[in-house]
Amino acid sequence: MRRIESQIDTNAPDFKANHAAMSERLKEFHARQHATRFERPQRDIDRLARQNKLGVRERLKLLLDPGTPFLEFSTLAACREYDGAVPGAAVVTGIGIVQGREVAIHANDASVKGGAWYPHTVKKIVRLLDVALENRLPVIHICDSAGGFLPLQHGVFPDRYLGGRVFRNQVKLSQANIPQIAVVGGHCTAGGAYVPTLSDYNIIIEGTGAIFLGGPPLVKAATGEEVGVQELGGAVMHTSVSGTGDYRAATEQHAFSLAREIVSQWKRTPKTIIETATFEEPYYDPKELYGIIPKDRKTQFDMREVLARIVDGSRFHEYQPDYGTTMICGFAHIWGYKVGILANNGVLFNDSSLKAAHFMQLCNQNRTPLVFFQNITGYMVGREYEERGIAKDGAKMLMAQGGSVVPKFTVIANASYGAGNYGMCGRAWDARTLFMWPQAEIGVMGADQAANTMADVKIRQLQREGKELTEEEIAAIRDPVLEKFRQDVEAYTSTSELWDDGILDPADTRNALGMSISASLNAPIDDPHYGIFRL
Amino acid sequence: MRRIYQIDGEETECWLSHDGRSMILNTPDGAIPCQLDAAEAPGGYTLRVRGRTYDMRVAVGPDATFVHLNGQTFAIGRVDPAERLAGNDGGAVDDRIVAPMPGVVVSVNAKAGDQVKEGQPLLVIESMKLETSLTAPRDGVIAEIPFAAGDSFGLKATLAQLAPEEE
Repeated sequence: MRRIESQIDTNAPDFKANHAAMSERLKEFHARQHATRFERPQRDIDRLARQNKLGVRERLKLLLDPGTPFLEFSTLAACREYDGAVPGAAVVTGIGIVQGREVAIHANDASVKGGAWYPHTVKKIVRLLDVALENRLPVIHICDSAGGFLPLQHGVFPDRYLGGRVFRNQVKLSQANIPQIAVVGGHCTAGGAYVPTLSDYNIIIEGTGAIFLGGPPLVKAATGEEVGVQELGGAVMHTSVSGTGDYRAATEQHAFSLAREIVSQWKRTPKTIIETATFEEPYYDPKELYGIIPKDRKTQFDMREVLARIVDGSRFHEYQPDYGTTMICGFAHIWGYKVGILANNGVLFNDSSLKAAHFMQLCNQNRTPLVFFQNITGYMVGREYEERGIAKDGAKMLMAQGGSVVPKFTVIANASYGAGNYGMCGRAWDARTLFMWPQAEIGVMGADQAANTMADVKIRQLQREGKELTEEEIAAIRDPVLEKFRQDVEAYTSTSELWDDGILDPADTRNALGMSISASLNAPIDDPHYGIFRL
Repeated sequence: MRRIYQIDGEETECWLSHDGRSMILNTPDGAIPCQLDAAEAPGGYTLRVRGRTYDMRVAVGPDATFVHLNGQTFAIGRVDPAERLAGNDGGAVDDRIVAPMPGVVVSVNAKAGDQVKEGQPLLVIESMKLETSLTAPRDGVIAEIPFAAGDSFGLKATLAQLAPEEE
């Protein structure tokens, strides 16, 4: 495979200006991420210490193999919700390594609102369990939650993908022969009691862990019975009387060493074999991405320059290099795994859509996972293109993409607008993981277009009523809408709402993809089959 | 395709195979049976060819492999055949810049009569929320840029024209 010849001049003024802008963004991003992970009000830290509990990050350290990577999902979930008072949505999720095995981890963060489940907490847990199901990853739950956040109970409880889905997914995991362990390091009350009880194995930490359908205050209110936490649902009672708990741990350290021991008892199923090559770092420095991604989202750039800083040895075998050139298709390796890459180099036209559809079929045929790099403002519009059947060719691309049986991974590298998001495996299309770069934008249309459209509707309505508007009045209508839309399309909104699995420093993309691909190979790859292509 | 190696600047094609008994190096001058065994020293090997034995040292770098043999060091680079044999692509370059899609001109950075270099930005267009910079396809003189900033244009409209190259 040949190396991409980079045309980038790292001394050019554009490169330097882009680099400065991205570095500034990343400084903010890393600071926010650090605050979400580690900064808590003193009273919350004191409360955990008083309860004799470790923080969630220390618990992860005890659980995971030292020196191995942890692919954390949606660190900044809920960052634009609840006035920013629920960092990370009060839960940590990700893929980590325990006893040399890839496992999915769901860990409540009791330093945030006692680990209560907010609507975004539930969304984040359900997503993690979907990841476990799709990739057949064993799950380790670290339970320490105050329960559903009552003032928002309708946002956590009744709907299809809310609270019940957590337990439903646990059942589906078990049914699919995927093991689960729950480490109970706090109270599991009401619905929360089902997390450890639906797990194949559970460990209760003496003194701090407890499981009950109704806690002492509720029992008192309901029946008048006065009973303490330990008698009602503590480690000793459950592991020796009720059989609800499997293992009693004397300390947190003991609990996590037991969990590790249980993982080492599991049968190892061989991973799916795909084409691999010897691992090679990219020839071009991934940090050069900072100078390649334009500081203005609207400026076009060559996605090959991005690929050169992500794939092994910067080597890329480009497919149909002279046809449908706004869509780059080709083969490369990431962490030694052979992948098929689809990357936007402009708007999707008829030829680029057909090329993408054809290439995805090739990849499915030879079981090559697909990686999408989105910088897409949409499928081309206009009479000429409708006559050529752009909607029909777009449909073919969707049919090939949605019908793919190989694992798919998506990086929203810059723009993700309109149906282009669909064709390029946006959130609804089951990418095994989907990450966003900090400057990337997502929406049905651009902020300017949306604001203009909405302002025009309003202006015309007023004109019909006989009102002529001055420039200032028009601006007064348009500007607030524009400001709101600008915020709405930002990566922070997307990641807050869990439309992605997290924002990435572009230089970390290669490792996030490598880990995602490796994890995906725990699941088998089906034989290719599709729906009807509108020819 | 045989592999192409560059040994001290000179290209040679060869392919290593095995006939069931020993390794065979297939070269344009014929097949040479040979055997390479690791020696004790780091990077050390013993090469047996045509009844003779050579001690050699090998060091592998990212762009070339260095072989020390008979008091001489050879730099051996691997040439990608697909790249080496691709020939010159392109051929005649079009003198016109044609609109890849309908859109609006954002800015014009050159005017008729200007001497421009290949790759120099001539104008920036916007279409589908994307600003694309269109660059000179070759060195030359601008004959015409028919649109001004703010003008809209259709698909395949000529956005810039270079003066024909003089023979």
